Amino acid sequence: MADFDAIVVGSGISGGWVAKELCERGLKVCVLERGKPTKPDRDYSDFLDPWETQHFDRISNDVKKRDFSITGLSYAQKESNRHLWMTDREHPYERLGNQSFTWRRGAHVGGRSLLWGRASYRLSAYDFEVNKADGEGVDWPVRYDDIAPWYDHVEKFAGIAGNRDGLAQLPDGKHFQPAFEHTCAELDLKEKLKTSFPDRHLIMGRVAHLTQPTEEQTALGRGQCQARNRCHHGCSYGAYFSSNAATLPAAERTGNLTLLPNSAVSKLLHDPVENRITGVEIVNTITGVGSTHTAKIIFVNASTIGTTLILQNSATEAYPTGLANSSDQLGRNLMDHIGGSQVGAHVPGHLDRYVTGRRAIGAYIPRYRNYPKQEESYKRGWGYQVYSGRQGWGAPSGVGDGFKAANRAPGPWGIMLDAFGECLPNPNNTVRPHKTKADKWGQPIAVIHLTLGPNEKALMKAAHQDALDILDAAGFDGLYEAQKPSEDSGVFKVRTHEMGTARMGRDPKTSVLNGWNQSHDIPNLFVTDGSFMTSSAVQNPSLTYMAFSARAANHAADLLQEGAL
Amino acid sequence: MTDFMMLQRRDALKSLLALSAAGALAACVGEGKSEGSAKKLSASPKLSASEMALISAMAQTIIPKTDTAGAVEAGVPAVIQSLFTEWGDDNYRTYWRAGLDNLEQHFLKSGGQAFAKMTPSQQANLLGKYDAKAYGEAGFDDFYKSMKSTIATAYYMSEPGATEELAYEAVPGEWRGCVPLSEFPKTWAT
Repeated sequence: MADFDAIVVGSGISGGWVAKELCERGLKVCVLERGKPTKPDRDYSDFLDPWETQHFDRISNDVKKRDFSITGLSYAQKESNRHLWMTDREHPYERLGNQSFTWRRGAHVGGRSLLWGRASYRLSAYDFEVNKADGEGVDWPVRYDDIAPWYDHVEKFAGIAGNRDGLAQLPDGKHFQPAFEHTCAELDLKEKLKTSFPDRHLIMGRVAHLTQPTEEQTALGRGQCQARNRCHHGCSYGAYFSSNAATLPAAERTGNLTLLPNSAVSKLLHDPVENRITGVEIVNTITGVGSTHTAKIIFVNASTIGTTLILQNSATEAYPTGLANSSDQLGRNLMDHIGGSQVGAHVPGHLDRYVTGRRAIGAYIPRYRNYPKQEESYKRGWGYQVYSGRQGWGAPSGVGDGFKAANRAPGPWGIMLDAFGECLPNPNNTVRPHKTKADKWGQPIAVIHLTLGPNEKALMKAAHQDALDILDAAGFDGLYEAQKPSEDSGVFKVRTHEMGTARMGRDPKTSVLNGWNQSHDIPNLFVTDGSFMTSSAVQNPSLTYMAFSARAANHAADLLQEGAL
Repeated sequence: MTDFMMLQRRDALKSLLALSAAGALAACVGEGKSEGSAKKLSASPKLSASEMALISAMAQTIIPKTDTAGAVEAGVPAVIQSLFTEWGDDNYRTYWRAGLDNLEQHFLKSGGQAFAKMTPSQQANLLGKYDAKAYGEAGFDDFYKSMKSTIATAYYMSEPGATEELAYEAVPGEWRGCVPLSEFPKTWAT
C-alpha cells in the first residue's frame, strides 16, 4: 500500500500546478520541496520603504563572493530578498570551459514562482510545428489545438492581464484581465511601426497579475495588483501568480495535500520487475535524516537541471545512465533564451506627459523574422521586451539648488529593446552529474555545458541590427547600445529560462517523454517542468509549463482512475 | 527583464562602471598624481571625524537645505558611514579613502583650508568649479562622480528626499502610462 497516490517533487510553478490539479481530482498528494517553508509575514519584504532598507538594498561584494560566486547577481536579487535565493555556496554547480550560463534558483516553498518575471505568452501553432518543418531537434508530439484548452484553463485560474492583439504568432487568451496601459513612448513607437515596419507589432506585455480579480481568485485570498513593482520581494496581496498565492492554497483546501519542505530527493526508487517508480528517498536538509515515501505515480518538477540530475542520480542496472533514459536524450538539448542585445534611444517630445504608479511589466514586440516562412540565412527568430519611461533622479553635473531642481522634474523619455533569441536544441548542450563532487547532502552536483551555436550567433547579430533600425526609423535619437553582441554575439546568462533536457517526442528512441509528459520507458513517471520542452521558441516559457502541467496531471488522474497505472 | 528603474537613472552607466572598476582605480584616483596618492592612508574600517566632516560638507553643498531637507538633515553622512563600514569591501574602502584624501588635498591647495571649515559660499564656489571639471573632462576624477551618485542615492532614498523633495507612493494602487505632467509634476522617487 503506497503512502500517497502521487508524489510531486518540487513546489515551483509546474509542481504547484500538478499538486492543485491532482488534489482537486481527489488524489492524496505529497509535495516534496528541498527549500525552506515560506511564511509571508516573515519572508516577504514588499512593504519596505526605500529608507527602511539597508545599504540601498544592494548585496555587498563580500556576500556576492561568498554566496553567488558562480551566478553573480541579477537585477532581482536584493539584500532584503536574499534569503529567497539558493546560494552557490550551499548548492554549487560547474560549467564547462569559459561559459556564461547562470543558474538562479529559489530556496523555499514556491521556488522561482515567487521570483519570476511573470511575462505570460502562449506558444503558437507555428512553434509546435517548426521543428518538423526545418528539421531541428525532433517533432513536438503536441499541436497548438491540443494545448489551447489548457492554456485557457491555466490563464483563467492564474489571471493574466493582457490585450487580445489578434496575432497568430502570439495567440490570445479567452480570459484575459484588463491590460496595463502603454507609456507615451510605447504608443509613439507602436504608431510609427505601422508605417516603418508593418509586420512588427508593439503590444502591451501580458503578465500574470490580477487587474480585475475573479471570485475564484479572491476566494483564495488574492487581491488586485497595486502597481508597486515590489514583486521580487513576494506579494502580500497575492496579486501576481505564484504557487504560494494560488496553486498551493487551492491544493491545500481540498484536504488532500501533504507538503514537506526541507526535503531533498536523493533518488527515485525503481522496481525492475514491475517497471514502476515505487517511491522516493529523501534527505531532510536540516537534520540530514533520510526517509522513504511511496506513491502510485511520481511527478518530477524539480526544475530542468534539478529534475535531470535526480533522474541521472537514480540510475539502476536497467537504466545505467539515468532513469527513463533508454533514448540517451536525458541531459541533452539544454536550451535557454539568448540575451546580450539591448538598444536604447531617447524619445523626443511628450514632455507634458508622465506616468503614475509602477508598472511591473514592459511592452513586447513578438516574433516576426522567418515568420510565417523561413526567409533568412539563419533559422528561427526573437522577440523584444520593451522598457520605457522618463528618466528619474541621478547625479547629473551641478551642485546646490540647480542640482536639486534638475532632479525634481522628470527627465526626457527613453525606450529600450531587449532581444530574447531562440536557441536550437543541440544534443551536445548537456547537464551531467559530476563524477566526484557532491553537495553537502551527498548528491553529485551538476556540470553544465551550454554554448552558442552559429545559428544563435547569427540570430542575435540580426536582432541587434533590427533594434537599431526600428528605433532609427521611428525618428528617435541618442541611440545607445547598452548591451551589444560581441564576437560571441549573445550570451546565456540573463534569462533563467533553462529547458529541454528531458524532451517530449513521438519516438521513444529519440525522446524521454511522450506527448502527455509521461516517460516512454516508465509509465508512472511524469515530468512537467521546463525539461520537457522540445524547442525553446522565443516566448517566456512559464505559462507553457503551467498548461502542460495541468494537462499531464489530469491525464495521469484519468489513467489512474482507469486502472492503467 | 531588466531593472529599467536602474537604467533610468541619469548616471546609471557611469556609476556602475565606477563601482566595478573601483579596485583598479583606487591607485590612480583624482587629478594627476598629487601628493595625496603617495602617502600612507588609514586602514581603519570606519571613516574618521575629518573624513566625515568633508563628506558632510560636500553632501550639503551638493544638496543644500532649501524649502526641503538638505543632505545632512536627511541623514546622508550616516548612510555613507554605514556603507563604508558594513557594506563595502577593502577595495571599496581604499577607493573612498584615496578619493576623499585627494579631494581634501585639492581644496587645501585651492582654498587654503579644510573644505569643511570654509564658508558655504566658498564651498559652493570651489565645489561647483571642481564638479564642472569632473563632468567636463573624461577621467578627471571618477571617484567624485561615484561619490556624488552615492550621496544622491542616499538622499533620494531617504524619507524627506523621497517624500518631500520628490514624490513617493508606497502603494500607488493603479498604473497610468501617459498622464498630464501637471497632475504629477515631480519626479517619482521609485
